[in-house]
Amino acid sequence: MRRGALAACVVAACTVASAHAQTYLVLVSGLAGEPVYRERFHAWASELRSAAMRLGVPDSHVIYLAEDPARDPSIRGPATKDQLAETLRRIAARAAPDATVFVVLFGHGSDRDEPRLSLPGPDLSAPELDSMLDALPAQRVVVINTASASGGFVPVLSGPRRVVVTATKSGFEQNHAVFGKYFTEAFGTAAADLDKDGRVSVLEAFLHAKAAVERSYATDRRLLTEHALLDDNGDGQGTGEPSATAADGSLASAVYLGSGAASGATPHIAADSTTLALERQRRDLEERVAALRARKESMPQATYERELEDLVARLAEVSRALRDRAVPRLN
Amino acid sequence: MAEAREAALAGKYEEAIGLYERAVREGAPATAVRGLVETLRAVGRYVDAERAAGGRWGLSNLVGEVRLARGDLPGAAQAFARALERREPDSLRARLNLALMRLERGAQDSAFDELDRFIDVYNDRARRLTSDELAALAEAVWRLGQRDPQLFKDALRAFDAAVAADSTNQDAQVRLGFLFLEKYNGTDARVTFEAVLRRNPSHPAALLGMARVLRFEGAGDAAEQARRALAVNPNLVPARVTLGELLLERESPSEAAAQADSALAVNSASLEAWTLKAGARFLSGDSAGFREAQTRVFALNRRYAEFYARLSELAARNRLYQTAADLAALGVRVDASSWRSHAVLGINLLRIGRMAEGQRSLERAFAGDPYDVWTKNTLDLLDVLDRYETRAAEPVTIVADPREAALLELYVGPLAREAYDSLARHYRHRPATPIRVELFARHADFSVRTVGLAGIGALGASFGPVVAMDSPSARPAGEFHWGSTLWHELAHTFHLDLSRHRVPRWLSEGLAVFEERRARPGWGMPLDLGFLLALRDGELPRVSELNRAFTSPESPEALGHAYYLASLVCEFLAGGRNPDVFRDMLVAYGNGASTEQVFRTVLNTDPGRVDAEFDRWIRQRFAAALDAVARHGAAARRAESADDVIRLARVARDDFPVQLAAGRALLERGDLDAARAPLERAAELIPEYAASDSPLWYLGQLHRRAGDPRRAAAVLGRLVRLNAGHLPALVELAAVLDSLPDEAGAAAALDAAMYVYPMNPELHERLARLASRRERREMAVRERQAVLALAPTDRAGAEYELARAYFEAGDLANARRAVLRALERAPNYAEAQDLLLAIRAAQPRLDP
Repeated sequence: MRRGALAACVVAACTVASAHAQTYLVLVSGLAGEPVYRERFHAWASELRSAAMRLGVPDSHVIYLAEDPARDPSIRGPATKDQLAETLRRIAARAAPDATVFVVLFGHGSDRDEPRLSLPGPDLSAPELDSMLDALPAQRVVVINTASASGGFVPVLSGPRRVVVTATKSGFEQNHAVFGKYFTEAFGTAAADLDKDGRVSVLEAFLHAKAAVERSYATDRRLLTEHALLDDNGDGQGTGEPSATAADGSLASAVYLGSGAASGATPHIAADSTTLALERQRRDLEERVAALRARKESMPQATYERELEDLVARLAEVSRALRDRAVPRLN
Repeated sequence: MAEAREAALAGKYEEAIGLYERAVREGAPATAVRGLVETLRAVGRYVDAERAAGGRWGLSNLVGEVRLARGDLPGAAQAFARALERREPDSLRARLNLALMRLERGAQDSAFDELDRFIDVYNDRARRLTSDELAALAEAVWRLGQRDPQLFKDALRAFDAAVAADSTNQDAQVRLGFLFLEKYNGTDARVTFEAVLRRNPSHPAALLGMARVLRFEGAGDAAEQARRALAVNPNLVPARVTLGELLLERESPSEAAAQADSALAVNSASLEAWTLKAGARFLSGDSAGFREAQTRVFALNRRYAEFYARLSELAARNRLYQTAADLAALGVRVDASSWRSHAVLGINLLRIGRMAEGQRSLERAFAGDPYDVWTKNTLDLLDVLDRYETRAAEPVTIVADPREAALLELYVGPLAREAYDSLARHYRHRPATPIRVELFARHADFSVRTVGLAGIGALGASFGPVVAMDSPSARPAGEFHWGSTLWHELAHTFHLDLSRHRVPRWLSEGLAVFEERRARPGWGMPLDLGFLLALRDGELPRVSELNRAFTSPESPEALGHAYYLASLVCEFLAGGRNPDVFRDMLVAYGNGASTEQVFRTVLNTDPGRVDAEFDRWIRQRFAAALDAVARHGAAARRAESADDVIRLARVARDDFPVQLAAGRALLERGDLDAARAPLERAAELIPEYAASDSPLWYLGQLHRRAGDPRRAAAVLGRLVRLNAGHLPALVELAAVLDSLPDEAGAAAALDAAMYVYPMNPELHERLARLASRRERREMAVRERQAVLALAPTDRAGAEYELARAYFEAGDLANARRAVLRALERAPNYAEAQDLLLAIRAAQPRLDP
């Protein structure tokens, strides 16, 4: 049932994507070393590519670079350092200032002299990626490095309007990391939508993946050797416990793959005046719920619960009315 | 001379004595006489040693020490005084001995005054002191450590200096080992004693030291080590006392008393021998004998707190925790600076649930002796317990890690209630409640709670009013059945209470496993192959000797066999005519009866007959299983490869291990058809074999892979009815049953799995869905609560599912609270919104 709700959100996101901010997604599947990893990285990259397109990112905005470009038509070029630099230059030339650019790295990392990702040809170091991203000074940039030993990318890439996620907390965590699998999975899993607004933010995907990684290691009775980090306040200090209200997590909670339109968002077509009034009511109620939550600690519990119930019940009625009025959505 | 000394240092004492005697006869210097006296003393020939010394100058202190070993206190004091008057070379040692004698007799202030002067000696003459003098100084500083614990470090340094000055000073090394041991540092003590024993395998005190290390570590045969010391020196009173204490720990008080008498025959002034005798009398219930020994001790030293501290430890080892606390309190009263008494008092108060008082005593002990590892660990543990949550769940109070308390409460509370009521019916007895149940998320914390140190192999312990055990999270999934462990420990609480803590280990453990089996099918230990082979080979102890298998097990495997065997003894006894047999036995033990008396008065038989009848019974009960392992051995050992085993299985049709191994090998190769016959044959040969490698488990895999879920369900069902701790079987059974579909069966399997490992959210999700579909409303709510308690990332989703479970159960008030928590996190959560509207439609007003 909840998976159905997410599907609805996907459709809604598609309809509004082109009307709102642009999203670009660059997928880099690095040097795998062994066939098993090559398959794994390709599977994760492909899954994320599909999710992005389901969420309304146009095909032309999704650039997938991999070790062997011939293996799949969706791969646009080799995953070399030069190709990545060229890709980012092109995006920089086209992207609007309010665009969001996702760079997602899959592969094996190392951190001997400096943090690196293994690529065909010369490896990609964190400072080199940072230089490439300088081409995107106004845009929001989200770097997801799912490789082992990737923790060192955080202090190098951290900056304003940047969300940096790494699979490990340092260069010492060198075992193959599974974070990428679960981060990718988050964009197709209703359970990752923690606030049930019909969309999965980068923060939600991070939290989903982190918990899934821990469960996976526990199930396999292995000692946890990857501790993911997220940094989005530009201080270069990643955290494993981000939240929308903590030092790290606020920006990530508002960044979505695709448009970020919620499942209940009214399609931009066929919105009559009643619908628009209901939308306004809903936004007003949402804001009042948020304001009430902010006052929670200063209120008697019973009063808080009564007011909360009153607000969320009204919100439920408005949402139901909106759902009842929903017109067929365009894909 | 040099040859004699070398022989003595190598522990060839008889050879050394011969050489020294010859040297003395031939007019060798005084050092030869000294060597002879020391060697005679080492082997316990005290009279000969004193005679050999005569009144020679330079040997007075040695003579004093020999007299001291024999309990001739006035003679010893006189000899030490003479050494001082005559300014003999070891007069510093003589001064020490005089001070120690005063200390031993309770004249603490004057003794400490004298010992204090040794610090001046060290400061004035450190560089000029001989190895023996440095060792004497170390002894003095060691004692002073009772008043200033920092001095223990100086004692260590002084011993190190003594050994550095003369690496052949074995006595100094041995004393250093005992200092380590006194400070609960078994590792360094072992290293030190081993170093001496490498050079001198017969050093009696080093052998004794190793015996005490083994006792401290709970590993190896400490008694055998003590006997080795006594074989070299039969008059070594401390070794005799250690052996006696070990016998007491094995619940053999009469043998212990015999050792005490032997020790006292050598040294009638030995405080520790009298203490041992008191302990033996105490455990035998001989009040008059106890009082006599007590009187003798306090006539010798009115401040001998060690008497109570040792008895307290003895009482605790025999599970008399309240008595242990009472005795330790007496120790504190006799000597307020007896840090050991404070420590033992604290630990035993904690064991009976008097947490605040226990902590105070331990803090006092730690202030006086910060090197006591047990005290330090226990205080650290109390810091952990401070952070734990306490939840009332009559008849128990649950104390658990805050991260898992909510989860555990869901299962521990109801299970403890069921166990208490069931046990109360069986024993017609109700121990005082609430029973404190501590569940430790870290095994090391449980271990400290139980024995003061990390490393205990047990899963749980009952002190009577307090039960401590590993939380299910403390071990990998499926490694232990926490539900049956809790039941087991609560059963002990009944046994201890009803028997006034006098039930012997064999009965208490056997009964506890027996009670596990009565609780649920498949609870309690399953039969294992090692047990069968031990039974086949006659390696299991007789009933009358079963207690020893618990108090001094030969190996962890042997201890496991003892548990299983004891549970069978209980099964055997339960088959008799007296329905109240266990209650009657426990009450009889509580009245002070010995096992023999209990057998005679309650069972109307004698140990010999019980041994014989039980042997017949067990051989009959396991007749088929014994046949299935009867010929297992040589042929199987020759089978080196899987192919060999498979070939062997074709002829060895009645050999269970061979059939099982062949079936497994074939299954691993994916040859399902060929694997079936040997696995089915194995299951037929020993139908009750349900260990982790049971043929039923492999048959379940086989049938599943062959696409026959019904057969898979049948064999896995059989397996978990025999061993409900087989987590993979329970999970797989649930999946197979769900696919049939048999939702009720699947839910039952998953429910059973929760008592093995409740930390897997996926299993709770599955059970919640099944329970909801089967309209098992209460179970659905519990499972949804469990999901939530496991701190899911999708908290809003988990709250919503809980709200739905409450709603379906008709509990609108809780449904409303839960759905509001979901909507608080996720105000636009459509399903939760609909549920809230439905709740409001059914019950418009918010409950106050």
